[in-house]
Amino acid sequence: MVDQQLGALHQRSRKLAFLMTLLLGVILFGVGLLLNVSLGTSDISVSTVIQALFFIDHSKDSLIVQQIRLPRVLVAVFIGANLAVAGAIMQAITRNPLANPQVFGVNAGASLIVVSSTVLLPQLTQQQLVYSAFLGAALGGLIVYYISDGGNARPAYLAIAGMTVHFFLSSLTQGLIMFNENTTDSVLYWLVGAIENRNWNHLKILLPWSIIGLVGAFLLSRSLTMLSMGDDMARSLGARVGFIRGFGGLLVIILAGCSVAVAGPIGFVGLLVPHIVRLMVGSDYRYVLPCSALFGAVLLIYADIISRYIAYPYESPIGIVTAMLGTPFFLYLAYKGGKSHE
Amino acid sequence: MDHFNLHPTSRAYHQEVIILKKVQSLIALLAIVLLFVGCTSPSASNGQQETNNTSGNEAAPKVRTIKHELGTAEIKETPQRVVVLEFSFVDALASLGVKPVGIADDGKIDRIIKPLADQVTGYTSVGTRKQPSLETISSLQPDLIIADWKRHKAIYKDLQEIAPTLVLKSLEASYEENVASFQTIADAMNKQEEGKQRLAKHEQIIADLKTKIPASDAKQSVMSAAVRKEGFNAHTSSSYGGALLEKVGLTNAIQDPNEAYAELTLEQLLNINPDVLFIMKTDGEQTIIDEWSTNPLWQQLNAVQKKQVIEVDRNLWTRWRGLVAGEIMVEEAIHHLYSSKPAAQ
Repeated sequence: MVDQQLGALHQRSRKLAFLMTLLLGVILFGVGLLLNVSLGTSDISVSTVIQALFFIDHSKDSLIVQQIRLPRVLVAVFIGANLAVAGAIMQAITRNPLANPQVFGVNAGASLIVVSSTVLLPQLTQQQLVYSAFLGAALGGLIVYYISDGGNARPAYLAIAGMTVHFFLSSLTQGLIMFNENTTDSVLYWLVGAIENRNWNHLKILLPWSIIGLVGAFLLSRSLTMLSMGDDMARSLGARVGFIRGFGGLLVIILAGCSVAVAGPIGFVGLLVPHIVRLMVGSDYRYVLPCSALFGAVLLIYADIISRYIAYPYESPIGIVTAMLGTPFFLYLAYKGGKSHE
Repeated sequence: MDHFNLHPTSRAYHQEVIILKKVQSLIALLAIVLLFVGCTSPSASNGQQETNNTSGNEAAPKVRTIKHELGTAEIKETPQRVVVLEFSFVDALASLGVKPVGIADDGKIDRIIKPLADQVTGYTSVGTRKQPSLETISSLQPDLIIADWKRHKAIYKDLQEIAPTLVLKSLEASYEENVASFQTIADAMNKQEEGKQRLAKHEQIIADLKTKIPASDAKQSVMSAAVRKEGFNAHTSSSYGGALLEKVGLTNAIQDPNEAYAELTLEQLLNINPDVLFIMKTDGEQTIIDEWSTNPLWQQLNAVQKKQVIEVDRNLWTRWRGLVAGEIMVEEAIHHLYSSKPAAQ
């Protein structure tokens, strides 16, 4: 009886934490969005921004907001959400805290196939490159999944196997670039992960896949919670473990693949965000996934702002910013993960 | 608590064995794939031959010492078989009336600009500038190799084993550095006099071209930018082309003494807003301009409103960085801007 009450209380406090986190995320999101759109090469006042968002006029500042900054920040929002949710799903289906698209070779695989496609089939459009990215994401992910024993290996092993595959695939990409300097010279910048010069067309490519991936993930959230408790536990609760893994893997490929196709392999979002979110809302994936999507978007919105000031007046690829934030965090998790398994 | 000390019976040990086996099988697979790729890709050239003893000792050749970026090269008499690994060096040799035996032409003969194509016929391609084939180079038995400081620093030792090697500045180098490289090449080819004359002629051509620009026009800001599918790479006042255009009196829209190139977004381009925009592109290639020109903001650019957006050949304008190419480039620029013919957009 007391247990039940405690459980209910616990449930309620979790829900409260979730709502508070959501509120915090929405505030950060709103402020970041306005800052992102108004700061840049020429600063545009927030009032002009708001005016440009709701009224159509043809002044230069409004056009900059409507045609350049707004699509760019929306691309950042969806890619942030995609990568964070992809990371959260991977951590659930492998039950490994270090799993994320970067460490799992998914981004590197997608990059390799996208670069090979641009070399071998230069007539491919951006829309078609998305499929190359899917193929590559699947390739990279499956290799690591196979080597690391279905992700069951100890976190440190997974990191080693994943990084090995990551570097191997990246070296193939580098080789391709080296021998095809001219067809690939625009690829180099993209390879670090960049969202500048992204416009409404890119958003159109990104949007349908993002929606499919994100909605699919939210539908899967209850099953992912069960899976994260262990296969046996999940089975005893009636979950179809194999199906959940397969479906989750497919979602990861869609989410990470379309993001890489549009903006290159932006790293560490899928690692950073789900961990921070879990600290705030616990491990129930019905809470983790929406919050990951929100905070993934928030992370990239702010990282995009920072990327404009690192080498001012020139812009830096956003991937540099996320790597600077993510690398120390990754090392910390690897260290902690190594300890807890001893 | 040492996690590397794994007992053979522990689960972790087994896991490690399994992982090792899987890695092994993958490596085997990989080796097969690489073998296959290696067999199908065209082999570079026939094997290396004796390259060192081409010139005997009996003539007691006069040895000249030429200084370059990474040291000095000992050159005996006048080199006859020269291999060059950057286009500006082809330009320099052609200006001195020398035909190189080998050129790193990226495997594309049409990279050789038309005015020079006749002067270098019959050369052997030694692969890409980024990754020239050492085997092909040595099979040509050169007596001089001219390499680029940026790209070929790392293979300097290997090149030296094949032949005396000059490492000079070309890629991402300034106009002055490229001219200095030309002078070094003239010295090395034992053509100091021809070199001086050619440079004087160059100065004269540039000075003549300068007179064609109305003084009132010096205030126009000019930007040249290499455009690709994904990027817009503006050349600043310290780039080779930018500096040369400044020399004839066209003000570069980006005055940057340190960075030769600047990757720009449409927004930054709008902010800089040059009066003249030279779009350096490869013919028939899809570029970011196709996308930008559909954006209503494109119409706000000064260069667009003044109908001074001019497409030029990226190969000639950015890859060559030589005297001949530079002169043609400036002439083209002035022709587009000041001839009666309306500028093509």
